[in-house]
Order: sequence, then C-alpha cells, then structure tokens
Amino acid sequence: MSQPIIVSASPHVHSDRTSKKLMYDVVIALIPAFLVSLYVFGIGALIVTAAAVISCLVFEYLIQKYLLKSEITVGDGSALITGILLAFNLPSGIPIWMIVVGSLVAIGIGKLSFGGLGFNIFNPALVGRVFLLISFPVQMTTWPTAVENQTALADAVTGATPLGVIKEGLMFGETMSEIGSRIPSAIDMLLGITGGSIGEMSAIALLIGGIYLIIRKVITWHIPITMLVTMAVMTGIFWLVDGEHYASPVIHILSGGALLGAFFMATDLVTSPMTKKGMIIFAIGIGVITVIIRLFGAYPEGVSFAILIMNAFVPLINTYFKPRRFGSKIKVKIV
Amino acid sequence: MSKKKDTFINMVVSLFVITIISGFSLGFVNDLTVQPIKDAKIAKKIKALKLVLPEFDNNPVENVKMIKSDLAKDSVEIYSALKGDENVGTAIIGSSEKGFSGLVRLMVGFKPDGSIQNIQVLEQKETPGLGTKMKEEKFLQQFRDKNPTTFKLKPTKDQGDVDALTGATISTRAFSEATQMAYDIFEKESSTTQPKKD
Amino acid sequence: MAETVNQKDNFLKGIVKENPIFVMLLGMCPTLGVTSSASNGLGMGVATMFVLIMSNIVVSLVKTQIPSKVRIPAFIIIIASFVTIVEMILEAFVPFLYEQLGIFIPLIVVNCIILGRAESFASKNNAISSLIDGLGMGLGFTLALTILGATREILGSGSIFGFKFVPDDANTFILFILPPGAFIALAYLTVLFNKLTTKTN
Repeated sequence: MSQPIIVSASPHVHSDRTSKKLMYDVVIALIPAFLVSLYVFGIGALIVTAAAVISCLVFEYLIQKYLLKSEITVGDGSALITGILLAFNLPSGIPIWMIVVGSLVAIGIGKLSFGGLGFNIFNPALVGRVFLLISFPVQMTTWPTAVENQTALADAVTGATPLGVIKEGLMFGETMSEIGSRIPSAIDMLLGITGGSIGEMSAIALLIGGIYLIIRKVITWHIPITMLVTMAVMTGIFWLVDGEHYASPVIHILSGGALLGAFFMATDLVTSPMTKKGMIIFAIGIGVITVIIRLFGAYPEGVSFAILIMNAFVPLINTYFKPRRFGSKIKVKIV
Repeated sequence: MSKKKDTFINMVVSLFVITIISGFSLGFVNDLTVQPIKDAKIAKKIKALKLVLPEFDNNPVENVKMIKSDLAKDSVEIYSALKGDENVGTAIIGSSEKGFSGLVRLMVGFKPDGSIQNIQVLEQKETPGLGTKMKEEKFLQQFRDKNPTTFKLKPTKDQGDVDALTGATISTRAFSEATQMAYDIFEKESSTTQPKKD
Repeated sequence: MAETVNQKDNFLKGIVKENPIFVMLLGMCPTLGVTSSASNGLGMGVATMFVLIMSNIVVSLVKTQIPSKVRIPAFIIIIASFVTIVEMILEAFVPFLYEQLGIFIPLIVVNCIILGRAESFASKNNAISSLIDGLGMGLGFTLALTILGATREILGSGSIFGFKFVPDDANTFILFILPPGAFIALAYLTVLFNKLTTKTN
C-alpha cells in the first residue's frame, strides 16, 4: 500500500491520482475493520493503533532527518498506513513498548534500510509484526477476549484464536468434531466476535474495505481473489479427504489473517508484481504457503510468513512477466 | 626456489608423504586425548546425575542398567545411586515425541519412595521463548518432592496438577508425558528388583 | 620471493582493511551459525585462528615441495589434519564448547578463509610472513565473531559471556538468537564497521 513510484514501461498516464490520494483511500478502507475492533476490544484497540501510527511517523521522521539526512517523506501517508497495518496485526493487550519496537523494526529495517519509498522488498508492517511474533511469542499470542464495556481496557483473560484452538486440538489427537464446539460459528467469525489481532476480527468489515479499494481501483481483484481461491481449494481438498483432521475451507478463509492479508497486505503496490500474470502467480504462492504453514507448520497462522516469503520472489516474477511495452505486438513470446 | 614439476611420480610421492605425516600426527594426538575424552563424557553424565539425585558416593555411570521397555523405542538407561550400601535414588531417562517440534528427553531423578528429586532437560527443540522455558527453575520447581501417584502428571487443562507454561500447553504435555514414562519404568523396575515383603 | 613484507601492515590488514567477515564477507557459515552468544563466537574464532596459523605455516614451509596440480588436495589434507586435532583437543579439554559448536568444528575444514589464505598468501610467502598473516586474519575473524556473538547475546538473551544482566522473566529479543537475527545483526554491524573504517582512513 505504499506509493506507486515504480518506473515502469510507457505509457506514463497522467492523472490527478497521486500516491497521497491512494494512501487515503486505503485508510478509508480500513475504517470499518477498525470500528469493529473498537466495538470488540474497546479502548485498547484505539491505544494500540495510535501508538503504532505515532511511533511509525516519528521513527520515519527521525531516521530520515538525523541518520540518513535525506528528504523527509513523512507526509506521503505510507508510514501512516504501515502504522495502521502493524497495529491491525497485533493483539489489543500488547505492551506499548513492544509496539514502539515493532514500529522501529517496520520503518527502520523493513523500509528505510532498503532505500525507503518504493525500494523496500518486504512489506514493512509485516516485517515489524513477524519480528514481534518471533521475539515475544507469549505477548503476541495472548488474545484478550471481547470487552463488556467499550471504555474499559480489555482484561487479561485470553481467548485463543479459532486457528490456535484447532491446531492445538489436532496436535493432541482430537478430531474436528470434538474441537467444533470450542470454536466460534461461521456467523460469529463473519461479524467478528472471536479472538484475534485487532484488524482481523470481522470478515464482513474487511470485505467492505476490500471491495471499496477495488471499486476505487486502488487494487485489482487478481491478488486477493486468487489467494483466497487457492486457499479454499487446497484446504477444501484436505477437508474432503479427511474432514476429521482438517478444518473446512470456510473456517480457514474467515479466521486468522486471511482476509486482512489478501486485501490489504499482499496487494501492497511496492512489494507485489507489476503484471496481472505475475500477480496471479504471486497470489497462488501466498495461498499455498499459508495453507502449508497452517496445516503442517509449527504456527497456527501463516499468512504473514507467506506474504513475506512471496515478497522475496517479486523481483524474479517481474523479470519473467515483464509489462508489455506500449506499442509492441501482443504475440511477443515471453522468455 | 623452483616448484616441483607436475610429473606423475612427484604428485603421488608428495601426496603420499603428506598423508603419512598427517596420519601419524593424528594418531599421536588421538592417543593423547582418548582418555581425557572418556573422562569428560563420564564427568558430564555425573554432573547431570548430581543435579537430579540426592548425594551419592558410588559411580552410577559404571553400573548403568539398560532395560528394554515397551514404553520406549530404544532401551532405557537406569542409573542407581548408592550412599554406602544404601540405595538413595534412581535416575531414569524419559522421553516423549509429542513435543511441539518432536522429541523431548528428560533425566528424572527419583527418591527410593518414588517421589521426584529433580528433573533435567537433556534434549528439546521447542519454540524459543515458549516451550524452551521448560528448562527454567520456575517451571521445574513444581515437580520437586512430588510423588506421581498423587501428583497427576498432566497439565491442569487436562485435569492434571502441572501448571502449564504460558502459551506452550503442548510442550507441557510432552514434558509431563516424558516424566510419566520415567515414573512408569521406575515403578516397574522397583517392583521386579525388590519384591514386596509381605 | 625476495620482496620484503611490511609486517605491521601485514598484521593489521586482517583486522581492518581486509577483515574476513566485515569486509570480505568470507566464512559466512560459522559466522551465522555459531554466534548465538559471545563465548561461542570467541571459541569458534580461536579454534579457527589456531587452524589458520598452523596451516599457513605448514603450507608456506612445504610450498616448494608440492607440484602445483595437486596443491589443493595437499592443502586440504593439511587443513583437515589440524581441524581434527582441534576437534579432539576441544572434546577432551573443553567439552562444553565442543558441544555448543557441534558440527561447526569439523566444518572449519571448508571455511574459505583458511583455504583462501593458504592459496593466496601462504603459498607465495615465507613462514614468518604467513604466521603473521594468519595471526592478523585469525584475530580479525575472532574479533568479528565475538562482536557479533556479543551483540546477539545482549539483545537476544540479555546477557554477555553468560552473565545475565536482566531479570529471568524479562522479555528479550529472542529473534536475535535465532538464524534470522544472525543475518540482521551481521548486516547492521557490517554497515557500522565500514562507516567507522572509511571515516578513519
């Protein structure tokens, strides 16, 4: 979701669609999901989001001004979105200093080390998130349950995520029908009454935001749809073969970070391929890796790892699926 | 200072001489270190045993008993500690493959009455920061002086008495299972070697 | 071969200008693999330094006796012998370190710094110069590994040379004692090292 300043082949269409405007469209698209998390987690969601946004902006300013002594680009909105997306990938009860560390890693290591704007290989928010997940596994997987009173901070009661419950149950030798009663229903997951990170609560709110982005032409359908279909097909095959040991595709799509990742993280303009064909391959890769991690890996959730792994393949994908040069014949064979 | 020519005979001779010299020097160093290596290995085992057993004055490593058990794949090592002629404790290696990333191996020290003296983690591949905390005092101290007949070796989540590690119920289960296995072997052994007097 | 080598430069180049880790980026496998603590880095560095110095001396002494077509196998045999000696000595007298370093001790054989120095320096210079070269390079390697190990240990475990300076249940950046942390720490230390050395030159 950073700015599209990639210098691609001509034609360079001129319009008033600046990167700044794209950024604010993304922010608008994230509002529904934020409102749901505010309702579910109360003021804790607001504190986490504010902390992440402020520290991302401050770190970008400080590093650019004092360490790199380069042009300061805080105003372009990309650090703002990195902050929001980072917060959306965190549990609402996480200590503030960890958010600050995550923001420093996201902006410092994930973005500015690679040259900043448009040069980062990996999605900065996910770099920060994965750094925190590996460093502080306890705090990053302690999900406060929904609050009764929205002005109160979420209490320390932890409710595992649906995917976490399934993973642990299956590893202990239980079958899906035994676990079934302990995970929320599909309706609850659609609405967002479940445990999880701030931004991944409500499937409906995320869908609304995603559709808004597609209508506003900030993103195209290729990456999110391909990724979700890949996940559905793969988990569907396992589920049909052995429904007692694999969760259904509905659970897989609606739970965890699948929708947030598909619409908001994988579609990041800087770190995704330039052509439609490239995007489809990229998205299939994310879907496959996510499912492999979820079903066979140590972590219950794998969307962020999958996106980061496929981010690394983007330069390669771009080499093999170059945008067609303006004016060249369509039949040119791609080497 | 001219180099030796690349003739076949020169190449064979120079490599032959180098390998001979290297072979002899390695043999020499091996002779020097073979005993210290053996001592170091025994010292390491005794160190682990001292941690899990009450004070003893024999060398448990010398009279280790290897038994075949249907509870474990490989044979199980049993170390008996003596003070004078009195049996003061037994250390048994228990394992479980149900860890988060596979094998968990423990050395469990039992007092003669069957209560746990101490536990030492020998091998584990659990998640750093979560399951690896099984090596820490905070987790291990809950097992001390507990007798598995009354102290249920299961996480509280499974109606047992073991306080699970935060975020690592699976590691806790594997740890408890390995301890239970060691205890089962201990029970079986003490009932066969010391028939009950009645 | 009558050229005189400035021994001071010869010694210092391994530490600063041609530092095997921070400048030449050689021997990355042990560098990334064992440096989860300062003492591991130091132990690995010293073990490699010993092999490097000994193989440099021996190679420079026998260089005229080895036909050039078989020089690589000959060097490898010499290096492998010293590595095996180090391995046996560590196992006998420092079993703790032997266990920590594990597979990386036999892997010293394939460390490209050692074969690289044998091929590019020791086979062209006399024994004294080769010894000093090995010492300098070895110290540069040891220094780099110790700094990297210390950085990772401080951030990842909250301790230095095994001495813990944070409470037992404090949150440390576990990532740094895991493989990805090795890459991140190495990258930023390389930046810092090059920044500092270009400034002083």
